[in-house]
Amino acid sequence: MDEKMDDSRTTPKKGIERRDFIQGLATLPILGLFTLSWLNKTIHDRPKNLGKSQRAIPEDLSDINVAFLGTGEQGYIILNACLKIPGLRFKAVCDIWESYNQKRAAQVLKKYKHEMNTYLDYREMLSKEKDLDAVIIATPDFWHADHTVACLEANLHVYCEKEMSNTLEGARRMVEAARRTGKLLQIGHQRRSNPRYLHCYNNLIKNAGILGRITAVNGQWNRAVQPDIGWPKKHVIDSATLKKYGYESMNQFRNWRWYRGLGGGPIVDLGSHQIDIFNWFLETQPKSVLASGGTDYYSKDTHEWYDTVLAIYEYETKQGVVRANYQTLTTNSSEGYFENFLGDQGTLHISESANRGGVYREPTAPQWDKWVSLGYLSAPEKVTQQITTRAVLDVRETIGPDRHDIPITFNDPYHLPHLENFFNAVRGLDKLNCPHDIGYETAVTVLKVNDAVEEARRLDFDPKEFRI
Amino acid sequence: MRIDKKHSNWQLAALVTLRVLVGWHFLYEGITKLMNPFWSAASFLLESKWIFAGIFKGIAGNPSVLSVVNVLNTWGLIFIGLGLMLGCLSRIATVAGMGLILLYYASNPPFTGLYYAIPSEGNYLIVNKNLIEMAALFVLLLFPTGHIIGLDHLFHKLRSK
Ligand SMILES: NC(=O)c1ccc[n+]([C@@H]2O[C@H](COP(=O)([O-])OP(=O)(O)OC[C@H]3O[C@@H](n4cnc5c(N)ncnc54)[C@H](O)[C@@H]3O)[C@@H](O)[C@H]2O)c1
Repeated sequence: MDEKMDDSRTTPKKGIERRDFIQGLATLPILGLFTLSWLNKTIHDRPKNLGKSQRAIPEDLSDINVAFLGTGEQGYIILNACLKIPGLRFKAVCDIWESYNQKRAAQVLKKYKHEMNTYLDYREMLSKEKDLDAVIIATPDFWHADHTVACLEANLHVYCEKEMSNTLEGARRMVEAARRTGKLLQIGHQRRSNPRYLHCYNNLIKNAGILGRITAVNGQWNRAVQPDIGWPKKHVIDSATLKKYGYESMNQFRNWRWYRGLGGGPIVDLGSHQIDIFNWFLETQPKSVLASGGTDYYSKDTHEWYDTVLAIYEYETKQGVVRANYQTLTTNSSEGYFENFLGDQGTLHISESANRGGVYREPTAPQWDKWVSLGYLSAPEKVTQQITTRAVLDVRETIGPDRHDIPITFNDPYHLPHLENFFNAVRGLDKLNCPHDIGYETAVTVLKVNDAVEEARRLDFDPKEFRI
Repeated sequence: MRIDKKHSNWQLAALVTLRVLVGWHFLYEGITKLMNPFWSAASFLLESKWIFAGIFKGIAGNPSVLSVVNVLNTWGLIFIGLGLMLGCLSRIATVAGMGLILLYYASNPPFTGLYYAIPSEGNYLIVNKNLIEMAALFVLLLFPTGHIIGLDHLFHKLRSK
């Protein structure tokens, strides 16, 4: 009180002057600054594209003319997903298995009133079909390079299934052709467009840094024992045609994945999807890989590639070293397939499979209430037990971490958003989520595992290897 | 020219800066709690150690008391923050701020022999940032500036007109 009276004595002038307003309101701009900073932070922290897949196709755009090259198991799945995308006209189907896979695809397209031609040979298709805009390639891996390069050179945009190629030389030719022709080349690592994966990368890892420093990664794809893929006996392809397209037998034509020179075995077939996610989420490529594998279970005559592979990568990220192990088994399906990212503040468990996933907070990490309220995570299922006595203080592992769901469900066909991304890019509305450069980086990363198994030692990557 | 007879302009600027910074901190702590529907003082209170632990844990254990405490704490932080930042009712804001921080400190003091499950972001022995902020407010109580730079100056002028 004294000071106040003091103060009135020191300011003898009565009445409010301009100066008094300045003194009285001097700190008001700081409130403005505060509000601005707060709004800025709110906008920054807001999750991006939450739950939305790229569905922004204007209706009045002209149709894209599309061809299918390879309509086997995967080609057929992609074709069905494409039928859900507006603005596509299917003009051609090419497959060397005329009486079976080619026929099945053509029948479906006819049912949906698409007028198209069928071809056995891709060169014939490319020389006859003159108004194609884009092609979807889902032939066996060893054909990807030839098919992609020919289509790009015929001025088509290309969606090519993974693995980009079974050889680095093939993958390199694809990158060079894409650069030379300026056409789009999307590689079919479809998780790159999956809204759940996009949320995990953009919001949880990049924006919120919710895992803290990622120190380890593990992933797997375990499959149960499977017999060789067969074929209906009345739909055998004659051996001259098989030879012409690089197959020695019907069994090899159907089970190409297991043969050297045609596929890359399960590590390439399955692992490439998930190891691609390692690179994506860690924002870099590995420094080295060591691996152990072999054809331990199946006959080496029909399974030239390894049926079992365990690989360990070493990454050097901006935050430090990350060790990542990946395993693929074809003799046991325990736990199926997933990727785990382990950080000092939390764990991200994610899989393409049926909305499987979760995020776990380390008991010692700061609370995640904020991220829950922002919609990054759903509310925790189990609240951390509180330690109330000193007796258990050093036994931190007794506290189970909170489990949060990834608050995005995705019930469309797995490949749909990646295809939409491709066709949107063709229309100039979007950028490719998995362009050739990324496909190449992943091919380099994955193909080296087979070399490491072969050489039975740790192999280093030269950073230059990943670029062309 | 001196703005105020009792302080040099630098002294005044330093005091006002201190006041605004503490106010900013209070205001943001309050606003984040207001914007977060999941925020509750419960986990903090349940962690309470030392002689008042019984009282604080009791609050956390009683949902109706807890919800009142949550609201009081949130709005308390916001009003104290605004008061300090704008120099509005600054004496009340200063005293209330000290009181609130005293409660935080008493609930989880960094004393030898007390261990907390949630690690703090630094290392403290007896003195932690709460205590320092409380001391800063004590300085502001003894060297008030709201009536010189702040809305209190205008109120004061209006009253003495
Ligand atoms: N993205 C994914 O999730 C995913 C899943 C499965 C397969 N794939 C990829 O899709 C591709 C195809 O795999 P699939 O399981 O469908 O194999 P598949 O053997 O079932 O199908 C391959 C098809 O290509 C045809 N074909 C082979 N050589 C040809 C040629 N030279 N010209 C024209 N047609 C030819 C075959 O007749 C067959 O219909 C592979 O690259 C595979 O890695 C991707």
